[in-house]
Amino acid sequence: MGQKELKVAFLLALRSLQRGSRSSAILTILIIGLCFTNMLFLPSMFSGIGQSITKQLVDYEVSNVLVSPKSGEQYITDLDATLDLINGMPGVQRASPQYSKGATFKYRQRVLGVSVRAISPTDEKEVSPVYTKMVAGSYLGEGDTGEIIIGKPIAGDASVRQEDEFQESLGGVRVGDSITVEYGNGYTKDYRIKGIYSTGWSPIDSAAFVTWTDMEQVEGQTLDKANYITVRAKPGYSEQFIKNELLAYGVGVNGKVQTMTDMLSKSVGKVLQSFAIINMVSLIVSIIITTVVLFIVITIKTLNSRKQIGILKAIGVDKGVIMHNYGFQVIILGILGIILGIIITLVLAAYMAVHPIVTPEWSATLYITPFDLLTNSVILFCAAVVAGYVPAYQVSREDIQAAMRA
Amino acid sequence: MGNVEVKALDGVTLDIAKGEFLGIMGPSGSGKTTLLHMLGLLDEPTSGKILIDGMDLSKLTDYEKTMFRLYKLGYVFQDYALVPDLTVMENVSLPAMLRKDRTEEQYRKDSHGILQKIGLCDRRDHLPRELSGGQQQRVSLARAMVNKPDILFADEPCANLDTENSRVVLDLFREINESMKQTIVMVSHEDWHKDYFHRIIRLKDGKVVSDGINGKTSS
Repeated sequence: MGQKELKVAFLLALRSLQRGSRSSAILTILIIGLCFTNMLFLPSMFSGIGQSITKQLVDYEVSNVLVSPKSGEQYITDLDATLDLINGMPGVQRASPQYSKGATFKYRQRVLGVSVRAISPTDEKEVSPVYTKMVAGSYLGEGDTGEIIIGKPIAGDASVRQEDEFQESLGGVRVGDSITVEYGNGYTKDYRIKGIYSTGWSPIDSAAFVTWTDMEQVEGQTLDKANYITVRAKPGYSEQFIKNELLAYGVGVNGKVQTMTDMLSKSVGKVLQSFAIINMVSLIVSIIITTVVLFIVITIKTLNSRKQIGILKAIGVDKGVIMHNYGFQVIILGILGIILGIIITLVLAAYMAVHPIVTPEWSATLYITPFDLLTNSVILFCAAVVAGYVPAYQVSREDIQAAMRA
Repeated sequence: MGNVEVKALDGVTLDIAKGEFLGIMGPSGSGKTTLLHMLGLLDEPTSGKILIDGMDLSKLTDYEKTMFRLYKLGYVFQDYALVPDLTVMENVSLPAMLRKDRTEEQYRKDSHGILQKIGLCDRRDHLPRELSGGQQQRVSLARAMVNKPDILFADEPCANLDTENSRVVLDLFREINESMKQTIVMVSHEDWHKDYFHRIIRLKDGKVVSDGINGKTSS
């Protein structure tokens, strides 16, 4: 098959699409476009959820590197020395300690068990964006005592009856109100609600924060220990680099050092694996649908053109030219369909970036990379080529007499 | 046909001379189109040979037959058989575009020339559906002639035309035959068409019942 033959095949294909049935071509392009969108939508939504989970874990739980107590230990000891060491390392933005204590919150008739986390607000602001998620009041200041910030679910809504609540709450406590906190060690104290926050991450929203200074009052001693230390990396520094540094400097002696990736694979690894399996099934289904649709479209085209195909062969058009005519039609339709699919997907992604699907645990946007677009385009293109060329090959080999009598 | 063996042609032997305008006539089912298709390499005889310029065409592969049809033969069909999505110029140029021995400039020139000859140069950018039946058949003739074939085959080219358009088309055939010494083999079942033929072969039930110079037939 020479260049001339391919040129003629391309001309026939182009003219057929330009001057043939517009509605058929548009419908085919639309189907391919929607199949492409379908290929990407579910996987990218799962990726978006995964990204959302990852981001929330990084922002509110683990940061980039988590230093936790050694096995069998409850606390990281020598906290001040450890913090000085970590904060002095290149690549470390900030290290922030957290100390948790179980407590019972009382407000009017409401009683609620809550985990209270002690933080150093200045350090914590460098590591976690909770301070940007205040929906009422303000964040803690360094040295604040007698003041507490709580998650919005803890605060509750006064307009909702207790029996109708999705999650137990204090029934609509507001900034400025006073609540009583009874700690596990028996220490009881009244706190003023300084602020209410809402991050969308349930474990954090179901907690409360006080300052480190305040917690030292609760414990009745200076706290040189922590339940864990979250470490934020400076931009351009990888988590693994930070982890290796911490281990090299002996931080692993006082605690266990894990990156966010280490933690993710344990905590949500199975969830992400399940997503990957569902994504694969969705991809296969989309490919099958596209292949079948295109196969049907081209088969109908060739069946309707059998007589014309016979005439073309009669006047000396080789069967290869006829086959490539329909093959090129599928390629053109496939490319246009994929472009349409990319546009639809990107528009959906932009829309969902502004209006994400919000669930109690996370918000879902579409997470799409150029690599995703490229690989799915190539996969769909290959499927289209196969779906188009199989019937084209079959019809090109039909006997001239049989075709002309059609 | 189905499980019944039917001899569409039965013992047909004939020679066609260069420049001859041969008419194949006979009642419906006599084997006219079958004979034309076999001569034009669109069908294969179950026995016998077809020789063009001394070459035994039964030995050619499918691809070689296709190329032979492209370079050496031309066809005009009764239902015009133009590609509906191509313009007049594109339809006429199609066989020429596929030739390896023609440049784009050459085939455009050839197509333009043949369109001028048939008087449809001003309609070269029109689609077939924008032409009358007679005009479409003239375009079909131009397509068949663009490669200057050794033999032009026409299968009842006037079957779908009225008398006036039929005359126009047949006059063109005559002109091409006389001016270009084009060998033409044409199937027809209209008696008045025989005025155009040099020689008429009449078939009946797959057999030649008469073969002779027009006006001087022999049985």
